Amino acid sequence: MILTKDLSVKYDNRIINFPDLDIKSGEHILILGKSGSGKTSFLNVIGGLSRPYSGFVSINSKTIASLSKNQLDVFRGLNIGFVFQTPHFVKSLTIENNLLFNQFLVGNTNKNHLNRLLEKVGLLNRKDDLINNLSEGEKQRISIVRALINQPNIILADEPTSALDDENCEIATDLLKELSKENNACLIIVTHDSRLKSKFNQYVELDVT
Amino acid sequence: MLLKLAWRNIIYRPFSSGLSIVLLASSIMIIVLALLTMQQLEDKFDENANKVDLVVGAKGSRLQLVLCNIFHIDNPTGNINLEDIDFLSKHPFVKSAVPISLGDNYKSYRIVGTQESFISNLYSSKLAVGKLFKKSQEVVLGANVAKTLKLKIGDSFYGSHGIEASLHQHGNAKYEVVGILSPTGHIIDNLLLTSLQTIWDAHADNHQKGSFDLKKEIKHDHAHHHEKTTKEITALLINYSSPRAKFSIPGLVNKKKQLIGAEPAIEIQRLLDLIYPAVKVVSILAWFIFGLSFLSMLVTMINSLKDRKYEVAMMRVSGATSKIVIFSILLEGLLLSFIGSLIGLLMGHFLMSVMGVYLTNSYHYQFTGFIFNPLELWIFLGAVLIGIIAAFSPAISSYKIDISRTLKNKI
Repeated sequence: MILTKDLSVKYDNRIINFPDLDIKSGEHILILGKSGSGKTSFLNVIGGLSRPYSGFVSINSKTIASLSKNQLDVFRGLNIGFVFQTPHFVKSLTIENNLLFNQFLVGNTNKNHLNRLLEKVGLLNRKDDLINNLSEGEKQRISIVRALINQPNIILADEPTSALDDENCEIATDLLKELSKENNACLIIVTHDSRLKSKFNQYVELDVT
Repeated sequence: MLLKLAWRNIIYRPFSSGLSIVLLASSIMIIVLALLTMQQLEDKFDENANKVDLVVGAKGSRLQLVLCNIFHIDNPTGNINLEDIDFLSKHPFVKSAVPISLGDNYKSYRIVGTQESFISNLYSSKLAVGKLFKKSQEVVLGANVAKTLKLKIGDSFYGSHGIEASLHQHGNAKYEVVGILSPTGHIIDNLLLTSLQTIWDAHADNHQKGSFDLKKEIKHDHAHHHEKTTKEITALLINYSSPRAKFSIPGLVNKKKQLIGAEPAIEIQRLLDLIYPAVKVVSILAWFIFGLSFLSMLVTMINSLKDRKYEVAMMRVSGATSKIVIFSILLEGLLLSFIGSLIGLLMGHFLMSVMGVYLTNSYHYQFTGFIFNPLELWIFLGAVLIGIIAAFSPAISSYKIDISRTLKNKI
């Protein structure tokens, strides 16, 4: 599903090398690293948000470096769901409209899926609220819904729990695992949050070299 | 969906969006107002001024002569003797010479003593009902007078002395309505027309004596009147039969020391030349506000997008191509300026109708907000374009956004 080879990024005049990954569809993997270890850069390169200094990423046997900027945008919208440490939404739109907008971007009209996901994270009754009326934990749950709204086969999460308290951390992690599983999507989480370590079987540690 | 996004983003920032809209609407409103007023003023001036080639009246200001006798908004310069202008009526270059005599009004609408040719030739107007004035004291009403004052055939009323409304009424000047004209859109709609004899009857005494004596008024009768040797009128409205007349007739008139000739077209051009600088000042003000509204839109868009750079990055992450991002931002600018321009146009026309009532009352001209100047379409398109231009630079900087770097900046 995801294959990376000899990946490295240049960051502040220093080159960071990453381990090669080979993740099968439906697998969950945790990438642990201290801050400065380049874990966010690693995830961004995998998700096609930035270009690597060397090496390549292939998703579904497609080398993403071969895609044009526009093709890459569309490819991301269809295949990859992102969750970030700080969730950002279109502030002027309601929760439902934010999610509908994400569906609109890839031409998806499956409103049942939207409602089912909202129900699953327990926020269906808040769908007409503006984003800023939600707590941080609730926002993160909505961003998980957004990552899964177009049924992608890859979920990339960058420090999804670092800003959350223990209770919300637990909820968010469980949701990520459960919903990825439901979708048979592979889940990659990069974090320095050691609370997650116990919840995953597979993990890779990044060293500062 | 993109339209919804644009709309939501506009109303999410009601104050800055509101300011942009108000500024744009105000400038459009002022421009439209100036445009419509000038257009109507020029139209009225032109269409009325072109009906008469030369106004001959008593010595005084030429402009006053024209304003008084063509547009009926200024005072007469004085009276002239019929004898003095006799030569004009007979001149081969003169196609028609219509005498008019002013002096009375009814509820500020002027009563004009004249001949049938004033109605049929000069203004090509027709009777809607009734007949033309024949005897003294019979009047024919302009369409607007009849409508506004709710007068009909057979009604009678007392006129007031002078050309503005006053409490002073002629004791014996009781007029009888015998006809009503169809509307023409010209000044004649706002006049009451009667024979010259009516005016002479009413003013035979007091004009000569220079004072008003009620006793004399009651005494005076037709017999008395026939003894008068000179009859006076206020002005003679002349139309030429040959283009050459332009070079000879005014000279002939101005040679006479009691007379002066004024060409309406020239006088009106002179008047408009006096008004234009004022209109220009108003337009400069409007363009200035227009510039401000552009700046305000620019600042609104730039601030809004600065606020939203994470949103934009997130949109890109979620599969929005740069094209969609640019399009949605331009759409927002377009929507903002579209709303502003639309409100401006509507307010301009609304204010024009409100002011039209006031202008109509004071000038006895019809001013309306329900006309459309083709220039407005260009102003509208230009203003909408300004919105797109204001959105252009934020759109381009959003296009260039580095997604990973933007999202790395945690807030």
